Amino acid sequence: MYYEYFTVGTILFILGVIGIVLNRSNLIIMLMSIELMLLAISFLFLINSVVIDNLIGQVFTIIILTVAAAETSIGLAILVAYYRIRGTIAVKSLNLLRG
Amino acid sequence: MYLLVLFIPLLSAIVSGLFGRKIGERGAGVFTSSSIVISWVISMLIFYETNINTSPTYIKLWRWFDSELLITYFGLQFDALTGIMLVVVTSVSALVHIYSTGYMSGDPHIPRFMSYLSLFTFFMIVLVTSDNYVQLFIGWEGVGLCSYLLINFWLTRIQANKAAIKAMLVNRVGDIGLVLGMFAIFKEFGSLEFSTIFSAVNEVSHPNSIALICILLLIGAVGKSAQLGLHTWLPDAMEGPTPVSALIHAATMVTAGVFLIIRSGPLFESSSLALTVTTIVGALTALFGATVGLVQNDLKKVIAYSTCSQLGYMVMVCGVSNYSTSLFHLMNHAFFKALLFLSAGSVIHALADEQDMRKMGGLIRTIPFTYVMILIGSLSLMGFPYLTGFYSKDLILELVYDKYYIAFAYWLGAFSALLTAFYSIRLIYLTFISNTNSKKEVLMNIHESSWNITLPLLLLALGSIFVGYMAREVVVGTILPPIIPSSIKLIPVVLSLLGATLAFLSYNTLSGFKVFLPKIRPQTVVNLFNPAIYTFLNSAWQFNYVINHFLVVKVWKFGHLISYRVIDRGLLEIIGPRGISNLIIGVSQKISNLQSGLVFNYALIMLMFTTLFISGSGASEFASQQWAYIMFS
Repeated sequence: MYYEYFTVGTILFILGVIGIVLNRSNLIIMLMSIELMLLAISFLFLINSVVIDNLIGQVFTIIILTVAAAETSIGLAILVAYYRIRGTIAVKSLNLLRG
Repeated sequence: MYLLVLFIPLLSAIVSGLFGRKIGERGAGVFTSSSIVISWVISMLIFYETNINTSPTYIKLWRWFDSELLITYFGLQFDALTGIMLVVVTSVSALVHIYSTGYMSGDPHIPRFMSYLSLFTFFMIVLVTSDNYVQLFIGWEGVGLCSYLLINFWLTRIQANKAAIKAMLVNRVGDIGLVLGMFAIFKEFGSLEFSTIFSAVNEVSHPNSIALICILLLIGAVGKSAQLGLHTWLPDAMEGPTPVSALIHAATMVTAGVFLIIRSGPLFESSSLALTVTTIVGALTALFGATVGLVQNDLKKVIAYSTCSQLGYMVMVCGVSNYSTSLFHLMNHAFFKALLFLSAGSVIHALADEQDMRKMGGLIRTIPFTYVMILIGSLSLMGFPYLTGFYSKDLILELVYDKYYIAFAYWLGAFSALLTAFYSIRLIYLTFISNTNSKKEVLMNIHESSWNITLPLLLLALGSIFVGYMAREVVVGTILPPIIPSSIKLIPVVLSLLGATLAFLSYNTLSGFKVFLPKIRPQTVVNLFNPAIYTFLNSAWQFNYVINHFLVVKVWKFGHLISYRVIDRGLLEIIGPRGISNLIIGVSQKISNLQSGLVFNYALIMLMFTTLFISGSGASEFASQQWAYIMFS
């Protein structure tokens, strides 16, 4: 039973990673992928907290939820500010700072 | 007194060189001339001490190099050889100084000229008075340097610059020989002082090392004394003013090489191979100089090649172990060659700086004094009986005759004597006796020069007549003339007189047969000799061409292609600064291209390296565990 949950969490995390790496069009999708990764992490924390019967995982989850909310709000604020200046939120056009 | 003879020429050079502006042109001339005359008086006293009283003096001044193995003192040695050389150097130098005040009048740089002349004399005195090879080398290089400065005196002339550089570089070739010889001496004897070396010369274990030392020293002498092979700088050195030629060719520079051989005589005595080579080189040089002198058209070059030839005699007789005879000829040669050069300078001066003998002639009526002087010099050079040259030159030829090895040296020398007489008379005939070829406006202005040009000539002429007779007992008193058939004894004089007569006849009586004159008008002038031979001799056996073509140009191209383009700008640049910087620039460009500015690339790279890091740490932990397992099981 644990392994199924663990696999689902890991797959969710990998989907989030793939969403960031392969995504070239939209900044919102990137944010959503980050949310998905955070969600997967939270899920894994919860599962492990239940399995090892320890409360600290759930404490971490609540903290992560808070951080994720704050992060999303700041991310969206940056996105809006960026959209006002550039008029587009395509990830491809985010390449002004080349090495 | 012994230090003053060194110090006074140096003082003269410094005062004239650094304060020439203060003391003026006349002041510089008078000061330097009187300094050298004082130096001459001192060296006469030294001559009296060392040669007449036979009491050599050794002075150790101070310790110079002190490195456990090699201890070299700055020391002076005044023995019979030094005494004679000092008299020769200072007397000719003093007369050249006096002569220069007249000859160079009107030149804007007289103080500099006089300073160089005095410096030259100083270095030559350093050379002859040293008691070790290192100090001798100071003088050796010093006279080379001063010859550069003096040949290049008219430094605006490109030919003078080239000739000076050539003189310097060709001399360097010989100097390398001398330096290597010094190394070999140090390796063999552990010392560079004459007294130590010559007393230990029989203790040398390996006979070949002495031969090596002597050959290397001989190479040094070949460079300095313009022997065959490294002689090419000497004729070119005529670009300097005439008093410079007199100083370089008569008394100082070229005699340094012969002096080195005479000084190193005990070393040469121990190696028969070196003596043989010395004789061969000397004999060939004598013949070479004499044949080339036959066809030169430049007044000074004729005398330059005759110097070459006479130096060949000196080296040749060194090779048959008669060093004092060589020194005697050196001394006599200094007087009559200085006389010849200075007389030639007087002629050139009178003809408004015309040096080509083909444009001279008929000067016997206008400048008879110079004619008499040059005649005395030439007769002395030819070895005319009872003149100075006779005493040494005939003695040389007699000593060389019937030596148990290399009999050909005598015949080369005797034939050279014939040629010497020929070109001496040719010079006199073309310059003084034949009909004139110069322009009327030049001829109208010919006159004898002022007293400070004629007085040195007169004194040198007296020297050319009497020195050989007077100094004979002092210099070569111990050498008995060898017992040889009278017919052989007569040969050099007969050949000289024959050569002189031939020359006079072929230019005077057989005026149609312009021997050894180029074909100016082929229809009227019958040339007895093939133009090819004439060209061959006129271009000095093509030595310059051969050396330039096969050596200088090759080295030059090697220097450009290999040293410069392949190694310096090629290999060393590629593995050196340029290659490394190119590599770093390229690699860093590629690395910085990874930073594309696209967010998803950054994310990918971050992920990849995180994965690598985690798995790498895992792998390394695994490997270390395996390693520990292998090590401790």
